[in-house]
Amino acid sequence: MHGGLLLQVAGQLEPDGNRAELFGTIFEVFLVLGTAVGVVVIGYMLYNAYRYRDDGTAPAEETEDIGRPTLGELPEGGGHGRKLLLSFTLSAIIVISLILWTYWALLYVEAGAAQPAEPEMEDGTTVDVTGYQFGWQFEYPNGNTTDGTMYVPEGERVRIVVTSSDVMHNFGIPAFKTKTDAIPGQTTSTWFGPVEDGEYTIKCYELCGAGHSYMTGTVEVIDAEEYERMFVEPMNSTNASDGGTERVDPATAAGGSSAPSVGLPADGGVATRLPARTAATEGVLRA
Amino acid sequence: MTDDEHETTADPTGDEPAVSDGGTASDGGSIVDDDFPADGVPDTPHGDDHGLPPTHSIRRWFVTTNHKDIGLLYTVTALFFLIFGGLLALLMRLELWAPGADFLAAGSYNQAVSAHGLIMVFWFLSPLAFGFANYVVPLQIGAKDLAFPRLNALSYWLYLFSGILMGISFFQGSTFNGGWTMYAPLNMPVYTPDIGGTTTVLALILFVASATVGSVNFLTTMHRMRAEGMTLRRMPIFTWSILLTVWMMLFAFAALLAALMLLSSDRLIGTAYFAESSPGGAMLWAHLFWFFGHPEVYIVFFPALGAMAEIFQTFTGRRLVGRKWFIGAMLLVAIQSFVVWMHHMFLTSINLEIKTLFMATTIGISLPFDLMVFSLIYTMLKGKIRFKTPFLFGFGALVLFILGGITGVFLGAVVLDYTLRGTYWVVAHFHYVMVGGVTGLVGGLYYWFPKMTGRMYDETLGKVHFGMYFVGFNLLYFPMFLAWETPRRVFEYAPALTGWHQLSTVGAFLLGSSFLVMFYNLFKSAFVGEQVEGQPWDFASTAEWTVPSPPPLENFPGVPTYASGRLEFEDGGSAQTDGGAVHGKAAALPGSEVTETEHGGGESHASIWPFVLGAGAFLVLLGLSGLQRGYFPEGTMGGVHIGTAIVGGVLAFGSLVAMTREKFHGPEGPFGESWPFTTVENTKLGLWIFLASDVILFGAFIGAYVFSRVAHGWTDWHHLIPEAHVVLPGLINTYLLLTSSFAVVIAMEFAKRENRLGVVGSLVATVGLGVGFLINKGIEWQHLFHIHTEAFPAGWDPGTNIASTTFYVTTGLHALHVIVGLVIAGYMIFRAWGGAYMGDDEPIEYFGLYWHFVDIVWLFLFPLFYIV
Repeated sequence: MHGGLLLQVAGQLEPDGNRAELFGTIFEVFLVLGTAVGVVVIGYMLYNAYRYRDDGTAPAEETEDIGRPTLGELPEGGGHGRKLLLSFTLSAIIVISLILWTYWALLYVEAGAAQPAEPEMEDGTTVDVTGYQFGWQFEYPNGNTTDGTMYVPEGERVRIVVTSSDVMHNFGIPAFKTKTDAIPGQTTSTWFGPVEDGEYTIKCYELCGAGHSYMTGTVEVIDAEEYERMFVEPMNSTNASDGGTERVDPATAAGGSSAPSVGLPADGGVATRLPARTAATEGVLRA
Repeated sequence: MTDDEHETTADPTGDEPAVSDGGTASDGGSIVDDDFPADGVPDTPHGDDHGLPPTHSIRRWFVTTNHKDIGLLYTVTALFFLIFGGLLALLMRLELWAPGADFLAAGSYNQAVSAHGLIMVFWFLSPLAFGFANYVVPLQIGAKDLAFPRLNALSYWLYLFSGILMGISFFQGSTFNGGWTMYAPLNMPVYTPDIGGTTTVLALILFVASATVGSVNFLTTMHRMRAEGMTLRRMPIFTWSILLTVWMMLFAFAALLAALMLLSSDRLIGTAYFAESSPGGAMLWAHLFWFFGHPEVYIVFFPALGAMAEIFQTFTGRRLVGRKWFIGAMLLVAIQSFVVWMHHMFLTSINLEIKTLFMATTIGISLPFDLMVFSLIYTMLKGKIRFKTPFLFGFGALVLFILGGITGVFLGAVVLDYTLRGTYWVVAHFHYVMVGGVTGLVGGLYYWFPKMTGRMYDETLGKVHFGMYFVGFNLLYFPMFLAWETPRRVFEYAPALTGWHQLSTVGAFLLGSSFLVMFYNLFKSAFVGEQVEGQPWDFASTAEWTVPSPPPLENFPGVPTYASGRLEFEDGGSAQTDGGAVHGKAAALPGSEVTETEHGGGESHASIWPFVLGAGAFLVLLGLSGLQRGYFPEGTMGGVHIGTAIVGGVLAFGSLVAMTREKFHGPEGPFGESWPFTTVENTKLGLWIFLASDVILFGAFIGAYVFSRVAHGWTDWHHLIPEAHVVLPGLINTYLLLTSSFAVVIAMEFAKRENRLGVVGSLVATVGLGVGFLINKGIEWQHLFHIHTEAFPAGWDPGTNIASTTFYVTTGLHALHVIVGLVIAGYMIFRAWGGAYMGDDEPIEYFGLYWHFVDIVWLFLFPLFYIV
């Protein structure tokens, strides 16, 4: 029965799905198998605990030579060794095959995160993300930056390269099942998509200070052509921006309602670096 | 199964049919009862022994060094910290009743999260297990006490004072609030500036000191002091679990100590190991922390597993199935636990090859647990299972552990871990495992309670406790799986998940209140519970049940031996007895009785100095906590800090001197089984074990240097070092140290020849050369501090850059070792002048071991920091 399910699942896992589907499928298989194993093992425990309960009468087997532990003996093992090794082997096979089965999915995910050999081979786009206490800054292929809201093209894959300008953060978009550490002085990369039109929440998954709970952001999926025009094509020098330096009020961003408007081509292709934040207390929220 | 097991099962029935029958009879308990003397007032006969006041005297608990007293102190103190950590958890659960910070402020919530984790992992879980270990392990292996009773007391006092220090940190602005993992660079004073944060780190250092002293003590005891016939392979399963736990502790805590020392150097002196400017600083912390952190998981879980196995054997009336495999599995886990740490770092910048490797080791380490689980389950077959409170908790712990294990497989699949990391899935999973372990330990508490107090707990209340506990546990943690999309350590979560979180909070209060039932039950029963004999449980087989409850000060009525395959107490040996009630071989357990006249070889059981030393260390660290960037705060506060540190230093040093002057007799050999250390004396073995942990400490320091240098660029590193940093001072110091080592060897030779002046002279030479080493180093450092070059206009001090940080801190740690050695050598000169060591070169040999070790470390540091 499970074999059939696995086959069916393997069929679904063509390496072109997005990560959310991939996660969902693997998670479900683990859940089904895990529940089955749990029910069997715990059920067996309960059954035996009941069956061999001491109800005051000596069980029938007691007439056999059952060695009970005696006071002051040197410890030694009981029987059932064959049974033990058999169940152990069975459980080992389940666990190992389950994890190996997911390994190719890992390879698929890792391949997407890797730097493409040639920039033009890349399908989709790459966004550089910098975490800081307590928000996110995004830098696009043409050097434009936004803060608090990440714009991504609809229907394309997005590769993200993440770092931090102060403490460790963890950049995650739960809806896309994507997540990676933001480490000061280093970069990590991962990817998501292709994604559908809409707004999604970004969350920080690593304790980073007093504002950690409110360190959210928004992903706004926009039309691919508009994305190309604003964030990929080289900018004219005069495209002023109010978005590059705007701080998103995290309390409202958490609600996902009021992000900065889309029309914010940023300043002249030069990335605006965030000022280094020196104290942990800086930017702690009004909440 | 194998030949070996067949052979062993045949043994007992053949040798001792009478006792076997008693055990297997359905009313075996009553037979045992008849044999035991009623020992209602167990403490009085021994109350005055060896200067140890009676148990009702407050003074006793400050001076006791007896392993059973220390065990009780550990257990009670750990339960206090359970309340401490539990209340913090309840605060968090109240905050999580609804999304948003409506109960605690954001900073307070982070404090609660961090302190809850630290207190539960360090100050509750392990110490509770070590309460049992202290009490039970010497009894199980047939030892009168631990190898170094005063060090055992010292472990306890350091533990207690470290916990107090942790508590004080809440009142110094804020306790550490960057999570129990203390990730860099959030752990730097720039981000967590409160003094309380520093105090937390120092409290952890004190705790690690306690754990290290304890590990050395337990390892020496368990390897050297087993009863005859109690080979390593024959040790009871709980003792086995503790043996492996302390081995892991020895090495894992050394790595943690290194991490904490580097961190406190950053926080106190202003060095730059984990600063955001240091390349690789964040990763360095993660590596060091998890190299400790993953073994720590097993360090806290193994004792619970051991307790569960004992409980299963006793209450099912069956021997552990596949005992040999079980031990093998534990051994495998203990070794493998040091090669899985990077699975906590799958989302960092480590590459795919390393991820794959650590995925494989992670699967590898999960499999032995499958075997252990099945072993426990099959132990129930053909049993006579009695559902007493300890078994209910042991059984419940196994159920919870299975659920924790299954949900852990999800995390083992890296691709799922990518999504589950940092969410409540992880929170729920490790609480099922860790608090599953707590469940096993609570079972152990009920199991050994009658042994520790001589009275039985109330069974009905015990069952009520279990019912509330088990329902509360699952109500608390299972909804976390369902609400897994909540990020860890936040109070702001998706409103749709509110219902699950509220269910969880209800469960938390149910779980918490179940402990009120337990405290009431145990507290009341300790005074008015039904008195019990030595063995209240049918089918209990280990040695602690063969002696009265609680056992007398010297544990056994004679010298325990398993030479015949069963426990017997022999007259004579090193025990100094007047024959009164000592039984010969023929008198089998459990009827043996101990009289007041037995002094068990005259071991000492009382010393106040461990307590004073603990208090001194506490004050030193409390004083130091004010230090930031090498300076104490201005004004009165600074004065208070400095004063506290000085008072503490004087106390600590004074108590160390007093301890060496005190006449104190620990257990002395020969012991029954000491393989493979038959010819190594206790002190020497202890020293070797300590040096092994010191190797890890230095290894971690050197590792931190290499890691930082690689992260920066190996050759580019030279730009961080001024021209003035030359080889010569290091070379001179190499010669000085090597020569001083020879001087110690010569001192040993003179001691053998009983030449007093020769001993004094060579020790003076050692100290002189050591002082020369320090002076030379001092000149070198002064020069480097005050250079003025284009690259380093303000000198090259510990905080200048990562290269100066690694140089000063690593060689500084070595210099500290030199200073400690010189203090010891100075004391030995004083003693030698008075005529000590003549014909007794052992103390000099032990000092020499330490001194040569320090010397060898320098031979590694010199090329690394002066040449490469």
